[in-house]
Amino acid sequence: MDTVHYLLEGFGTALLPINILFAFIGVLIGTAVGVLPGIGPMSGVALLIPVTASMTGGMDPAAAATSSIILLAGVYYGAMYGGSTTSILLNTPGESSSVVTTLDGYQLARQGRAGSALAIAAIGSFCAGIVSLIGLALLAKPLSEVALKFGPAEYFSLMLLGLAAVSGLAGNSMTKAGIMTIFGLLLSTIGLDNVSGVARFTYNIPALYGGLEFLTVAVGLFALGEVFKTILHKESHDGNLAKVGKILPSKQELKESSGPIARGSLLGFFVGVLPGAGATLASFFSYIMEKKISKTPEKFGKGTIAGVAAPESANNAASGGAMIPLLTLGIPGSGTTAILMGALIMYNIQPGPLLFQDHPGVAWGLIASMFIGNVMLLILNMPLVKVFAKIIETPPKYLIPIIIAISVFGVYAVQVNTFDLILLIICGLAGYYLASNDFPLAPLVLGLVLGPMIENNMRRALTASNGDFMVFLEKPISLAFIVIAVLWIVIPFVLKLKGKKVLINEEA
Amino acid sequence: MSKTFDRYASFIFFIVGMAFMIESGRISHSAYGSNVGPNVFPFLLGLILGLLSIKLFIETMKYQNERKEKEALDYKKFLIILVAAILYALLLEPLGYIISTFLFLLVGFQTIEKGGWVKTVLISASFSFGVYYLFAEVLKGTLPGLPAWFSS
Repeated sequence: MDTVHYLLEGFGTALLPINILFAFIGVLIGTAVGVLPGIGPMSGVALLIPVTASMTGGMDPAAAATSSIILLAGVYYGAMYGGSTTSILLNTPGESSSVVTTLDGYQLARQGRAGSALAIAAIGSFCAGIVSLIGLALLAKPLSEVALKFGPAEYFSLMLLGLAAVSGLAGNSMTKAGIMTIFGLLLSTIGLDNVSGVARFTYNIPALYGGLEFLTVAVGLFALGEVFKTILHKESHDGNLAKVGKILPSKQELKESSGPIARGSLLGFFVGVLPGAGATLASFFSYIMEKKISKTPEKFGKGTIAGVAAPESANNAASGGAMIPLLTLGIPGSGTTAILMGALIMYNIQPGPLLFQDHPGVAWGLIASMFIGNVMLLILNMPLVKVFAKIIETPPKYLIPIIIAISVFGVYAVQVNTFDLILLIICGLAGYYLASNDFPLAPLVLGLVLGPMIENNMRRALTASNGDFMVFLEKPISLAFIVIAVLWIVIPFVLKLKGKKVLINEEA
Repeated sequence: MSKTFDRYASFIFFIVGMAFMIESGRISHSAYGSNVGPNVFPFLLGLILGLLSIKLFIETMKYQNERKEKEALDYKKFLIILVAAILYALLLEPLGYIISTFLFLLVGFQTIEKGGWVKTVLISASFSFGVYYLFAEVLKGTLPGLPAWFSS
């Protein structure tokens, strides 16, 4: 009964006028971010952190954190939805999680059924949102109670597992992903050590005492990196915009897609819970699964509604599922959730098992607002699909400099110094060059966010064991985590040696 | 995969790893009540980073020498925007938010695509004024306003 009680209280929080407004702004901007080709969910969320920080400036910390995270999560799952619009109308996926949607979506659009494809995508996303919400509400409490029993050694190993999972699946080269993870962890050691208070790697530069600000690094790597790429590669989207046409799907289409939506939602949710997997893999898996169990597999790729319904439900469900490890264990499973976690930490709210004890309002308010946000997305997107389709035509001429200006504004508004602005530009350059040479960026951000916690738990565990590293292998739960982490790295490696193709997660 | 880039990257990461290892030796080795000092974690990470970059370097030996058609990159526009962004960052405090943002957007818009001056000026001006007004006046945030010599 506890869960129902908390959930109702969460709805109380989420239904406050300000939070409804924030959820609305979040899903609205999220949809736009998903539609615009130049900005992905990661840079969208990163760019909005400073904006929300200044909007919530006058509120008390817990309420400010709730409202901000509601808005930022709205951007995250809104983008998942918006990405489908460009896939269907333009044959250009707005996000990597919508790549599969282009296969059937664009074919449907060419047959003049773009409207119903978009509507089915919206309905599928909505159902998926509800499924992942129920899963989140049911799993959050028991999981966080288990996690509360963990000691520092277990925590350290669990976080190691999270890092291994993300870097094992990110990018083509595991070596590069590993380098990026470790580099992120190293960067997190710059600044005052929060156990002993000793300054590390600061060289008397005052701006470094606080450490490299996570926000600056994330905005630089993702937002500026993508902008630089757009300028250098002259990316243009001249494709013909398909007509939207009739929006309401026919009964036949609804019937055809109900099965794929249900299966896609469930599959997507469980893929999302796994660290490192995420929305892109979820949409791929569900498409492949639908094709396998379909009675008419030859229709896939030629414009079948199930080919849109399944992956779009799956990627939305995955974005909900990804909230579970973030909220209950404090371990983000992807780049975007790492950024959400960074945002929570900025508000002095530590995601993890204690979140449900210390700040139930934040956790349950977010869960409830995801339900409200999904309703909004459905209402917003059915009639407004044509308006969003127009956003695609925003000329890059204005978009690119404005993204740079928003990045600079955002970083300055929170940090108020020039050092961070220069760091921002350096991170943007690094982000562009690293990403264009197959160095995945998400593990770096993950390392930067998790670094202090990993180090803390490691040192606490080692202090208790008098510096004996065997402590991580002696505790059974900790040993299990480490074994899984090692397998996660080793199995794909062995498969690669055998010449098998390993699925990777490009969205990260 | 670019062989040259990955080689340089492996060198740089190797040096970074070594630097962190060596420099962590200068951090205090003990913390009160614990024999695991603040130097342990960075030292281990530096070591792993060094090893991984050696692995990357060895991997680059196996790369096939593929000569891909090089895409013509637009370095001119990129450099202009980059320099403009650096100047923007440096001049934000001396010139104030409104003027520096206005100038940056003006340069940015015109670099990406020439022409349409009226629209350019209008959008730059409304963005820089709008953001300043909303943030500094309505939300009472900190942004450098107009420079002192300008308002007097």
